[in-house]
Amino acid sequence: MILAVLFANSEGNILVERFNGVPAEERLHWRSFLVKLGADNLKGVKNEELLVASHRSVYIVYTVLGDVSVYVVGKDEYDELALAEVIFVITSAVKDVCGKLPTERLFLDKYGRICLTLDEIIWKETVTFCVIANEHPFAFSSMDTAANVLPHPFS
Amino acid sequence: MAQPLVKKDDDRDDEVDYSPFLGIEKGAVLQEARVFNDPQLDPRRCSQVITKLLYLLNQGETFTKVEATEVFFAVTKLFQSRDMGLRRMVYVIIKELSPSADEVIIVTSSLMKDMTSKTDMYRANAIRVLCRITDGTLLTQIERYLKQAIVDKNPVVASAALVSGIHLLQTNPEIVKRWSNEVQEAVQSRAALVQFHALALLHQIRQNDRLAVNKLVSSLTRGSVRSPLAQCLLIRYTSQVIRESTNDTQTGDRPFYDFLEGCLRHKAEMVIFEAARAITELNGVTSRELTPAITVLQLFLSSSKPVLRFAAVRTLNKVAMSHPTAVTNCNIDMESLISDQNRSIATLAITTLLKTGNESSVDRLMKQITNFMSDIADEFKIVVVDAIRSLCLKFPLKHRSLMNFLSNILREEGGFEYKKAIVDSIVILIRDIPEAKESGLLHLCEFIEDCEFTYLSTQILHFLGIEGPKTSDPSKYIRYIYNRVHLENATVRAGAVSTLAKFGAMVDGLKPRIFVLLRRCLFDNDDEVRDRATLYLNTLGGDGAVVETDEGVKEFLFGSLDVPLVNLENSLKNYDPSEKAFDINSVPKDVKTQPLAEKKATSKKPTGLGAPPPGPPSTVDAYEKLLSSIPEFASFGKLFKSSAPVELTEAETEYAVNVVKHIFDGHVVFQYNCRNTIPEQLLENVTVIVDASEAEEFAEVDSKPLRQLPYDSPGQTFVAFEKPEGVSAVGKFSNMLRFIVKEVDPSTGEAEDDGVEDEYQLEDLELVAADYMLKVGVSNFRNAWESMGVDFEHVDEYGLGPRDSLAEAVNAVINLLGMQPCEGTEVIPPNSRSHTCLLSGVYIGNVKVLVRLQFGLDGPKDVAMKLAVRSEDGTVSDAIHEIVASG
Repeated sequence: MILAVLFANSEGNILVERFNGVPAEERLHWRSFLVKLGADNLKGVKNEELLVASHRSVYIVYTVLGDVSVYVVGKDEYDELALAEVIFVITSAVKDVCGKLPTERLFLDKYGRICLTLDEIIWKETVTFCVIANEHPFAFSSMDTAANVLPHPFS
Repeated sequence: MAQPLVKKDDDRDDEVDYSPFLGIEKGAVLQEARVFNDPQLDPRRCSQVITKLLYLLNQGETFTKVEATEVFFAVTKLFQSRDMGLRRMVYVIIKELSPSADEVIIVTSSLMKDMTSKTDMYRANAIRVLCRITDGTLLTQIERYLKQAIVDKNPVVASAALVSGIHLLQTNPEIVKRWSNEVQEAVQSRAALVQFHALALLHQIRQNDRLAVNKLVSSLTRGSVRSPLAQCLLIRYTSQVIRESTNDTQTGDRPFYDFLEGCLRHKAEMVIFEAARAITELNGVTSRELTPAITVLQLFLSSSKPVLRFAAVRTLNKVAMSHPTAVTNCNIDMESLISDQNRSIATLAITTLLKTGNESSVDRLMKQITNFMSDIADEFKIVVVDAIRSLCLKFPLKHRSLMNFLSNILREEGGFEYKKAIVDSIVILIRDIPEAKESGLLHLCEFIEDCEFTYLSTQILHFLGIEGPKTSDPSKYIRYIYNRVHLENATVRAGAVSTLAKFGAMVDGLKPRIFVLLRRCLFDNDDEVRDRATLYLNTLGGDGAVVETDEGVKEFLFGSLDVPLVNLENSLKNYDPSEKAFDINSVPKDVKTQPLAEKKATSKKPTGLGAPPPGPPSTVDAYEKLLSSIPEFASFGKLFKSSAPVELTEAETEYAVNVVKHIFDGHVVFQYNCRNTIPEQLLENVTVIVDASEAEEFAEVDSKPLRQLPYDSPGQTFVAFEKPEGVSAVGKFSNMLRFIVKEVDPSTGEAEDDGVEDEYQLEDLELVAADYMLKVGVSNFRNAWESMGVDFEHVDEYGLGPRDSLAEAVNAVINLLGMQPCEGTEVIPPNSRSHTCLLSGVYIGNVKVLVRLQFGLDGPKDVAMKLAVRSEDGTVSDAIHEIVASG
């Protein structure tokens, strides 16, 4: 299942985070682990270039998108390839909402719409962040993102 | 020119610093939420407030029950607005607030209305929200709409309903199972996504019905599944069906293998990879089946996408564990991955190469790894160190370069776990490769000169104390050890004093100088260090006379406790300080737990690859001590072998008994480990009556009863037999436990005075030829075989009759002989028709034996075997053949 989806700014502050099936006391560990992973490896990485790591039996796929870094953590059937699909849809959706690569400011400006779109990607593709808990293989598909097919809420 | 530039910078700073949520506070946002109650709703404003609420929730803010309820009720008012954007935000926030059951009712009707709306997006969103917050009763009301939605022509609505079905299946399986027909229809949908979701749900509905899953897979593998994701699911389900089915016995073909192989040519990388991985994970996969999968994985290795490279190398790494030769073709591609920017990929590539590499490539590989080690994290380094240790055990001739590598990385920066992994590896190599001993010890000595970890320093000092005195020039280690007394903390100093004393006790030539050093420790400022020095000086004869240290003293100082620590701890806790000194003989010696405890202490010894199995040396030591402490058995000489405990009772019986067979040259001692599991009973005078009528060559010479066997406190009784010296006599012994049972008053714990004699039948025990064989591995079988020579070689052929598989036949012979398989030859590649297995051991009388077994399938099931034995004694070679002939 997908264990976490996390957006952070370039300084490692969390913008959006959703944990699922991760006990509260382990979240801090994950948060700092992911942010450190990003700080160590994301410097100089091209936008949307996917990096991958595994920590124990868990897989992490992460990337950078403008000023924002995005991390997706999964295990079991959510292996690196499934997570690559997941993160592809997420980054596409965020780009669509922002109209370009997001700066931190732009990301926060569009915060509501990003939340909505993230929810609806999953609405379209399977899982919301809220319902990730239910194990289901391949939560997302790269067919098309909700943002592409749905009118924007504030337009 | 300068001014506009400055202005531009200022602008940018403003942009960076400003956050729309700067200074956001929960209280203020909750106040703002009152805007939801306005008669004239401002959709834009309301959306902004919901955004703020979402931001707060995402930042980990929590709402109290009252706050959440208030916001929820206010949000429900927003259903009045016809603004589409706002409605969608409302759906999100309702899910976020996860209202309680009694609140849900407020929004149910609005959501049900939206579920039947003409707007597709409302329908889909409302379905998801309703399914999220609903319970079983409401579900039956909306079931009709959900079924319709599953076959809705809009794929978005259909998917929403299907996904909701997946989630509802966990809570209301009975209801969701009724949707089977609609879901099946959706599997045929033209929309790829709907097909994917429908397939997932259909499988979940049918997952407990093996026949139905089989049918589903059969029909879909024939047709064309459009969605790559659905195709991946299908591959997974197919693997599951393959696992549960058996091969076609006529042709040896595997059902559905063709489908998996066909998927390797799919246009989506995800499907190709899924199929390749499914093939590599098939049970007993043959190299013919593996080849196409390995080929596509090899292509992925040079992909530009890190994710694909990672996936491929990870899978190949797994394959390398069971089929190293199959992966060898990818070695060149993998070598280029050592310099991959992604360290996970590089580490996986290295460890795979270490598994698949051959002896000639070791040096080149090590050169590459050296550059790579400096820029990876400790956790990756540990993986590499473990792989290098295995490699060194596989190619002992390469110990020099591998040991050098380990010592180099030991000098570099690193955390405790990493350093411990290196030290453990060096210790294992020293133990298993005699040629590596001296250089390994010196590396460890150099390491403790600058070691920041007390634990590691003391462990190494202890190890030096055991191994150092046995080397050709023990004196060269003294300097390193004595330096610790000057430079380290008290714990390490105390350890160093003990190690020095060990050198003194074991090497008489060093004694005078050791005494000088120990005397200097008498003035240490730590009492433990002083006490140890005093003890050693007094017991080893530090008064100047250089005499050989008495064995008793050595045993007292450095021998291990012959009682398990747990038992000793318990006894000490129960000891009441009084005039009577604590008697260590009163501590129970439950040897069943003792080997375990010792095994833990010595830890982490890898098995296989010619190394002797873990445990036996220390276990034998423990048994040897135990037996020599019993005067009746002291004259039997040196213990040759002790078997693993053989259970003589079923689990969960009143009295649990197992037996360990101790083999001496002219005697056999059975050690019965007994445990009384009835709290209300005390057993006394416990003996085992052994009937040896089916073991003619054995004559009972002694029996040592157990005086008392209280509840849950283990004890042993022994029976000794005489047998012809040096002969591997076999036989069957029947056993009867005899004892006096006394009732125990549960309230006081006191036993009654009078007892009743009783008996308890135990299972029979067999002494077999394998009991006379010690499992001792050789690090290089070929060398050992050649050097043994053909003088006492005995070769013969045997038919083993029909067997289930070659592996079963090989295991049967290994077990029959009780020898140590070498170089991993006990693992038989699946479906192979011939196999060579190499065994080594020491036969009673300390005769080294090497065995080469060549198996071949003769016809469909019949196994034929050629047995070649070389040993130091012709009669032993013949005896091995006799064992096989009569087995």
